[in-house]
Amino acid sequence: MKTKLTIFLVALTFTTGRSLLAGDSPEKSRASTLLPAGEEKCACCAVEAPKPAAAPCCTELTPAAPLSARSIYQLDARFTDDDGRPVALASLRGRPVIVAMFFASCEYACPVIVDDIRRLRAELPAAVRAQARVMLVSFDVARDTPPALKAFRARMNLDDAWTLARGEAPAVQELAMLLGVKFKQDARGQFSHSNLITVLNPEGEIVHQRAGLMGDVSEAAKAVALAAPGGAR
Amino acid sequence: MVRIPAGTYAPILRGADEPERVPVAAFLLDARPVTNAEFLAFVRAHPKWQRSRVSPLFADTGYLGDWTGDLELGPRAPADAPVVRVSWFAARAFAAAQGKRLPTTAEWERAAAAGFTSADGATESGFSATVLAWYTKPSPETLPAAGSGRANFFGAHDLHGLVWEWVDDFNTAMVTGESRGDTGLDRTLFCGAGAANARDLTNYPAFMRVGFRSSLRANYAVPNLGFRCAK
Repeated sequence: MKTKLTIFLVALTFTTGRSLLAGDSPEKSRASTLLPAGEEKCACCAVEAPKPAAAPCCTELTPAAPLSARSIYQLDARFTDDDGRPVALASLRGRPVIVAMFFASCEYACPVIVDDIRRLRAELPAAVRAQARVMLVSFDVARDTPPALKAFRARMNLDDAWTLARGEAPAVQELAMLLGVKFKQDARGQFSHSNLITVLNPEGEIVHQRAGLMGDVSEAAKAVALAAPGGAR
Repeated sequence: MVRIPAGTYAPILRGADEPERVPVAAFLLDARPVTNAEFLAFVRAHPKWQRSRVSPLFADTGYLGDWTGDLELGPRAPADAPVVRVSWFAARAFAAAQGKRLPTTAEWERAAAAGFTSADGATESGFSATVLAWYTKPSPETLPAAGSGRANFFGAHDLHGLVWEWVDDFNTAMVTGESRGDTGLDRTLFCGAGAANARDLTNYPAFMRVGFRSSLRANYAVPNLGFRCAK
């Protein structure tokens, strides 16, 4: 038994190492050519710009401006909110966004994720909090209808800053893949899933991810504030 | 494509509430992995999947790294060899363009559990050793032609012995990562008994596949990782 366990761990180590190597191996030169100029421009104002005068460069982006190469808003997936209205991910463009995946009948982790995001928002400077939006997307394609999401909103007492969304299986799966969220439905219909809070900058680029439940949310709050146009630095 | 009749799949690892065998409906599976030539035709028709144009979100910088250009295969990527260094997103887009899809883990494992002469390779003398042998040696610099391996009982070639293959739900392999990772567990308490509830401790390749799949992200373009389609 012990030997088998060792073999399994070696296997995991080996395969993990293998894919990490693969991720690192490619030619660096090509990586930089993949980034269009627009992306660097946005990084400049979202992260480094010291003066408020420089900040408007992000908010000036018109909806027609092409998305940056790392924007998850490139995902062409349809979602619906708890009023049954269509929600495009890209409609959140221009603001910092906190994204998490959940399911409404979740008995344990999801209420904790909601509470973590609540605490995160409480740590934001008021001006940033007013801009930031929260997007919760359900894994539960079958049961989380708009009315089910509506009931979740009421139960959790979530205000208008929170968008609750559902989608069909391919859309949910692709979003989960982009965020790095793993999930699996078990025999009882519950989902095992990663507990991941993702912060998107106004361009829809992932700027921070926080794994786990409870605990400190100040790093994530800092990331939101940093991502906000004209936000606290 | 070959027809894989309805059957069951027995996961090597399963949760306490999960059944030992999962039913798998009949489906069609490509008889061999997708080749470089086929993938080249796809990127020609869908330029957004060409190497210099693809978004890094959907394929990392290793994408099609064995090719010499956007539309040139070159010596390291023979036309009839399986395409590798493709991301899950790219594989999925290829499949959709053919009116197909990626197989699920259950489907792939169901097809790959067949031996050369019977539907259950585990009971076939020498089959497990043949499969295991692949994992013991590094892949050749240039891969042989897809489909050159011996066909299994269902007529599918190279499910073992050529390249790893994407499955649609690869991210369900180990949902919570390792036990100190992104879970609700107390991260100061952990244990390595990951295989304690395994079904068959001798099925080393099945462990390898679980470990491999769980280490992937959907934009990874990994050497020796290709795919085939299902329907």
